[in-house]
Amino acid sequence: MRKYKQTEFPKAHNLKCEPNLANPDELSAYIDKELPTWKRHLVRQHLKKCPICASHLQRLIHTDNFLRHAGDVEASDDFLTGVMARVSEVAQHQRQQESLWTRICQVIEISLGWMPNLSALMGKLRYNIRTRSPVYISILTFAVFTMVGVTLYQPSGDKFGEELRELNSEKVISLEVIQHERPKRLLTTYLHRK
Amino acid sequence: MFVSDEDLMMKCRKGDIGAFELLVRRYQNPLINYIHRFINDYHRAEDLSQETFLRVFKSASRYKPTASFKSWLYTIATNLCRNEIRNRSRRNTCFLEELVEEGEDVYHTEIMQDTRYLPDVLLEKKEQRQIIRKTLAQLPDNQRVALTLVTYQDLRYEEVAEILGCSVGAVKALIHRARQKMKKLLIKAGIGEEKVDEKI
Ligand SMILES: [Zn+2]
Repeated sequence: MRKYKQTEFPKAHNLKCEPNLANPDELSAYIDKELPTWKRHLVRQHLKKCPICASHLQRLIHTDNFLRHAGDVEASDDFLTGVMARVSEVAQHQRQQESLWTRICQVIEISLGWMPNLSALMGKLRYNIRTRSPVYISILTFAVFTMVGVTLYQPSGDKFGEELRELNSEKVISLEVIQHERPKRLLTTYLHRK
Repeated sequence: MFVSDEDLMMKCRKGDIGAFELLVRRYQNPLINYIHRFINDYHRAEDLSQETFLRVFKSASRYKPTASFKSWLYTIATNLCRNEIRNRSRRNTCFLEELVEEGEDVYHTEIMQDTRYLPDVLLEKKEQRQIIRKTLAQLPDNQRVALTLVTYQDLRYEEVAEILGCSVGAVKALIHRARQKMKKLLIKAGIGEEKVDEKI
């Protein structure tokens, strides 16, 4: 069989088709009816003129037909019941999760229900501050000033620590200088004086 | 009255398990066949098909009717198959060898139940199936996926492009290359050429 193929077909395979079919992929797309009508028409015209492409197409169709008759397997009898049993389990689990979620949502809704009351309370407070007593205003001003003061003047931990460490190291250096230099200086002055 | 896959999926989204059962009935055989051709193991193909359906059901809430159900189903299945093959190659099992010994005849009911088939014809058919599966397994991953989806699952190039995450033009090239390679491999295996010779 192989000998037959070698003697009959190689020449046809090596020949280039003239006029060239723009894209050889189009032969497969032609088989699968995936080409737009105008392109399909062009390919058909080309096939009429080109025996090489026509033979190539024949082979592709044959391969396709051969593959299509490969035989199918079928799902076993209990496949569907197996799938549906597991699906029901998943559905039940989802329902449980959903009920938990709706409970969480209810809690959120109830707490959100307090929001109008909260704003009413704030409104009352504001009204008191504005109308009733200057004491409120002074307390509020004091509170605001304290808060601003605290936020502005509170040194950030690291920066403060670094400054402290720098200061300490300077102290150590100066102490070293004092401890080591002073005797020398004293000696020189002593010698000078001498 | 025919209800589209997408409509069934929308019903399933609203909690209609019956709608989902219809989808499973519709796709159980095509899906098992697809996976079987991909991984060459019938029992694992059933397991992975079940897993695919479960994943579809679990993510039903995220399903949008704009996406084709078929593409979505086969995307999930393709990913599962790829994982399976990756795991197998890690375990160093050669599925090409496995498939020859696999007792597959029981499930080929379509052929088995037909009394017209004589024992030698059956044997020939079985051999052909094995050769086809062996040669399909020799194709590069993307070519095998594309060719299997177009040939056996009747998917359009556009749907295959969606599954593989590439352009329609790329699918066109993949299919053509896959067919050409299959043609060569089948000739090499000793089948697939004689009938062509007769025709030409
Ligand atoms: Zn040509």
